Amino acid sequence: MIDLRSELPLGGDSATAYIPWLVAIMVFLGTLAVSGVNTFDSILQGWSRSMTGTLTVQIPSAASETSLSETTAQIERVVRALNATQIVDSVTVLSKSELNNLLAPWLGDDIGDSDIPLPTLIDVTLTDEAPQTVEKLRTAIAEVVPNAVVDDHRRWFGHLIELTEGFRLLALCVACVVAIALALTVVYATRASLAEFKDIIAVFHFIGAQDMYVATQFAKRTFLAAFKGSIGGFASGTVTLLLIRWLAQNVESGFLPDVSLGLSFWLTLPFIGILAALLAMVTAYITVLGTLRTMM
Amino acid sequence: MTLSRKEKPDEEAPAVQLDSVALRYEQGPFILKDLNLVLPADSIRFLTGPSGAGKTSLLSLLYLAQRPSLGAVKLFGTDVTAANRGRLPAIRRKLGVIFQDFRLLDHLSTFDNVALPLRIAGIAETEIKENVTELLSWVGLEDLMETRPAVLSGGQKQRVAIARAVVNRPQLILADEPTGNVDDEIGMRLMQLFIELNRLGACIIIATHNEHLVSRFDFPRLSLADGCLEEQA
Ligand SMILES: Nc1ncnc2c1ncn2[C@@H]1O[C@H](COP(=O)(O)OP(=O)(O)O)[C@@H](O)[C@H]1O
Ligand SMILES: [Mg+2]
Repeated sequence: MIDLRSELPLGGDSATAYIPWLVAIMVFLGTLAVSGVNTFDSILQGWSRSMTGTLTVQIPSAASETSLSETTAQIERVVRALNATQIVDSVTVLSKSELNNLLAPWLGDDIGDSDIPLPTLIDVTLTDEAPQTVEKLRTAIAEVVPNAVVDDHRRWFGHLIELTEGFRLLALCVACVVAIALALTVVYATRASLAEFKDIIAVFHFIGAQDMYVATQFAKRTFLAAFKGSIGGFASGTVTLLLIRWLAQNVESGFLPDVSLGLSFWLTLPFIGILAALLAMVTAYITVLGTLRTMM
Repeated sequence: MTLSRKEKPDEEAPAVQLDSVALRYEQGPFILKDLNLVLPADSIRFLTGPSGAGKTSLLSLLYLAQRPSLGAVKLFGTDVTAANRGRLPAIRRKLGVIFQDFRLLDHLSTFDNVALPLRIAGIAETEIKENVTELLSWVGLEDLMETRPAVLSGGQKQRVAIARAVVNRPQLILADEPTGNVDDEIGMRLMQLFIELNRLGACIIIATHNEHLVSRFDFPRLSLADGCLEEQA
């Protein structure tokens, strides 16, 4: 078992009193950042699962009432062409009411009655999801209805992936900034403690303590202070996450996919705190060594 | 007491050697000027001089609190003025220092104060307990082992300081006005302890301005005046 007893006073210096608070905030933010990235990832995975092997064909609405029959003919041609390719599992033409349901969250319930021209949507599931099959379908449809749009969600999905990467990067930056802030504060706090405990450290020296010994005393002390903060940050972060989950469950989930943070996520949470405490400890250790080197 | 004569690694080397040592604080006047001294390992000396003569300053050079402005300080044959920082702790562990103001650690109990040099040296806790308990009984503090220094009397603090200084059986003991805070009887017991430790092989320097004390023992005397050191038999 590691001996965490320190020969230094446990309290008494004002600088170390900040460390638990700072670490608590850091761990709290870290917890939220990690869970944010995780949530986004799992949303994306859910979408990606439900979207590979599907595509949507859009047939633009005819400009006038007279060409309604033309649109119906176009739909028939597309469906026939799709079925002819033999790589199509199912073809569903979305009915007007299904379309209205899809658009209702954005455009309101009475969209069906308005005369906004709506395209016809055809959902297609494929038996084979290789990119070249999508291309094959694209050309087959272009032959029969040149102005039909084939959307394999890739473009939209690509943006989302970029967004997630950006989000991940942002979370990483936040974590780095907080970590640097923590390290700098620990440097400052340790220097202040060294000054405050100057006489005690002098006694350590006179009776033959090595720099490593003194540094270890400070490191233990800082670790304990930081660990206290870690526990606070971990607890408040976890409570906040559970609260958000509970709130999200109560929200009518129109287009929020069902997201559950996996076991591995909950298992990594405590490590954020341990990591922060270790960072504080190592920083204190290095700071003490650096300061002592200037003494006799 | 289980003090035993220590093996001396540098059999021939004097415990203390000063070569043209001078000391000034910042740009101030020289407090110590051109000191030369050789003390064999088994010597015992009074260091005398009026208040402000530089006794504490000279001792501080010996307990490695600072380097001399000029010259070289050698302890047990090692030039500590030139020595690498990393080598100093090993030399400091051969020293026992009784500070004028004791410098006990107020947040530690009597026991832990005395145990500190042993803990720093990495001695096993069972051995520490045995040694420290025995030493504290010997200086008459067995009932105050868990007491903090803040509530001890001057004389009790002094005994804790002495116990801490000798617990790791140092080869050079530096005592700064050790009888300053104690009555005559304890002062005499203290001197008996120093004589005993010297007999066991430790080199001892006792700084004092107490002429009465000096006159009662016939140790050779080093006297400081005007920054110069004079040896008197
Ligand atoms: N840290 C210091 N900085 C500046 N001057 C000091 C310092 N320590 C001692 N002095 C000066 O050095 C002189 C000798 O002091 P000291 O060594 O304490 O003498 P003593 O112990 O013989 O009374 C005094 O004049 C004192 O003011
Ligand atoms: Mg003095």
